Amino acid sequence: MPNPDLTQRSHDALENSVLQGALKAATDTFIERRREAITSVADWEALRQRARQVKEHTINHLDYYLEQLVATVEAHGGRVFWAHTGQDACRYIVDVAQARGIKSVVKSKSMATEEIELNDALEAAGVRPVETDLGEYIIQLAHEKPSHIIVPAIHKTRAQISDLFEEKLRAGRPNEVAEITAMARKRLRNEFLSAPMGITGANFAVAETGTIVLVENEGNIRLSTQVPKIHVAVVGIEKLIPRFEDLSVFLRLLPRSGTGQKQTAYVSFLNGPRQTKAEAGFEFHLVLMDNGRTRILADEQMRESLYCIRCGACLNVCPVYQKIGGQAYGWIYPGPIGAVISPQLQSLKQSGDLPFASSLCGACRDACPVAINLPDMLLALRAKAKESGVDRKPAEHAAMRGFAFIARHPGLFTWSGRLMRAFARLMAKGGMIKSGPMPPLSDWTDYRDLPAPRGPSFRERWKKEDGK
Amino acid sequence: MRTVPETNQLSVLDDVRRALGRRATLLPVPLDPFVESPLEIDSNTLIERFIQEATAVRAQVYRLPGELRLVETIVEVCSRQNDDVAMSGAIVFGETDLPEALAARGLSTFVGNDTEHHQLVARLANCGVGLTAVDYAIAETGTIVLGSDEPNALLVSLLPPVHIALVRAGQMIATMDEAIKRIGSEQIGSANPARSVTLITGPSRTSDVELVLSIGVHGPKELHVIVIE
Repeated sequence: MPNPDLTQRSHDALENSVLQGALKAATDTFIERRREAITSVADWEALRQRARQVKEHTINHLDYYLEQLVATVEAHGGRVFWAHTGQDACRYIVDVAQARGIKSVVKSKSMATEEIELNDALEAAGVRPVETDLGEYIIQLAHEKPSHIIVPAIHKTRAQISDLFEEKLRAGRPNEVAEITAMARKRLRNEFLSAPMGITGANFAVAETGTIVLVENEGNIRLSTQVPKIHVAVVGIEKLIPRFEDLSVFLRLLPRSGTGQKQTAYVSFLNGPRQTKAEAGFEFHLVLMDNGRTRILADEQMRESLYCIRCGACLNVCPVYQKIGGQAYGWIYPGPIGAVISPQLQSLKQSGDLPFASSLCGACRDACPVAINLPDMLLALRAKAKESGVDRKPAEHAAMRGFAFIARHPGLFTWSGRLMRAFARLMAKGGMIKSGPMPPLSDWTDYRDLPAPRGPSFRERWKKEDGK
Repeated sequence: MRTVPETNQLSVLDDVRRALGRRATLLPVPLDPFVESPLEIDSNTLIERFIQEATAVRAQVYRLPGELRLVETIVEVCSRQNDDVAMSGAIVFGETDLPEALAARGLSTFVGNDTEHHQLVARLANCGVGLTAVDYAIAETGTIVLGSDEPNALLVSLLPPVHIALVRAGQMIATMDEAIKRIGSEQIGSANPARSVTLITGPSRTSDVELVLSIGVHGPKELHVIVIE
């Protein structure tokens, strides 16, 4: 896949006026809905802190809770497969399908299966995956990547989707949103009724009861898990929570943070394969996936990035995400959380540039329903990127060393400060520098005006006013 | 049939333990329970709150003082279409003369407790209305709670385009917190370990196209909740 660098991808996003409009509408709407939704909770902060406490406890005892979950799921008649890597998970699922002669599967939106590119693996093995979440269905028809965790096709306009449906489904042109929805319902209903296997992720897996919890609005997850006789859930090992009663906190935090709803239309609590006296053939497979998560677990400083419940709140409030959207992040996890987990799940080499795409304003940390300290994680990753030599910028490095030298020599500092101020005033028009003569100054002034320094320097004033 | 090597279990768990800096699994000290003060609320306010919340998410709620007008209310909703009416919770509806009343309007009823899964799914997909009796309702969010102890309840509430759910006033719970605690304790003590439970809050919905709300994408397009006092 051609993968231009982050700067180029961001430029492309900034020049895409359709995307800019869609991003503004989406992030404004979600911020407002979330703001309203959290007022319906008596003590939001107490819920957040409790959720964080539960996640911290679970992650620090992940070995125990994983063993407990496996025992409870198996006691219900479910089968557990441990996937060390994404390839392990894909291979197991393909084998389950092929061994049963399955030619098509229905899928519900799942970041875990996106992460391991399960659809590609299924297609390569002759198994047709059908995405059933409306947004994911649109993305699949268009052969694109999602741009938002919660609304994957937010970058596409209604007209673009009408064109897409007309071309791909050959059943006329749906114009209104209701017509698009109705056309997808009809098409996908047939897929649900004929598919022998449904694949989902999970929002939570309860160790104590072996319950897989799935939160949704459309009903496609209910159909994927209840209609086919075989259900496969692909679950990252960090999705565990210890007790069923812990769901009380998370089920209030997740919908409010994600879509700004008090409650989503459906929440399914699934306990293993259905068991009826009369009929055999129901199966439940739980694929517990590591795929880089134990690497994050081993790093105490970064461990809390495993607390994430994938609500998308940090995306909406992020000034960078608001402008560049999800696809510019280059992988499936966008926004501040993407900038934190992508370099860890992939490698610093692949996505070590992402932690630098942040103003470190802290809005993500304030919005996070489990209070993950995202700015601290981003800073730590920047340091790691520098240390590992991934973010090698010789000119910047030389400039910083030069500055360090000047800053250690007061006379030189005073003199060079005067020189810089004199230059700046020369370049300024009406108190603002509007175009720098060359990079790096012009990189700044291409997009923003830089105020020229006015009056004496701080050090001069300090001296003159004798520190008062 | 190719077999998948089952060697990964130990390696992933080993990696987890190694990442946590230990060789053997450590028994955790469970967290203290999270105590919230329960909502003190009388039965009438509870029902009013439920109606307000459920209506806000586009469910249609009917409040009946007893069962007198129950059959009439159900028949009225069912008569707006021509397809069969699927019923779960036959015990509840069996005591009524509902099948006769629907038959008088030319509508057949379908129970199908022992139908083979694929036939059941195909049959339900052609029904016009699914009728269920719920386990609980949650006032705080306008949610109904449906368990799989009742044969077919989950599919009956899912496949037909219209879902009618019956709630008795005594089944009303104030908050999500209380509901989760109750479902959890039933889950743990259940004789049926494969018991699945679904929370339903309004009809199926999506905002995936330009954030425009669209009702009835994959699940029911209409949700009618009848509250009987």
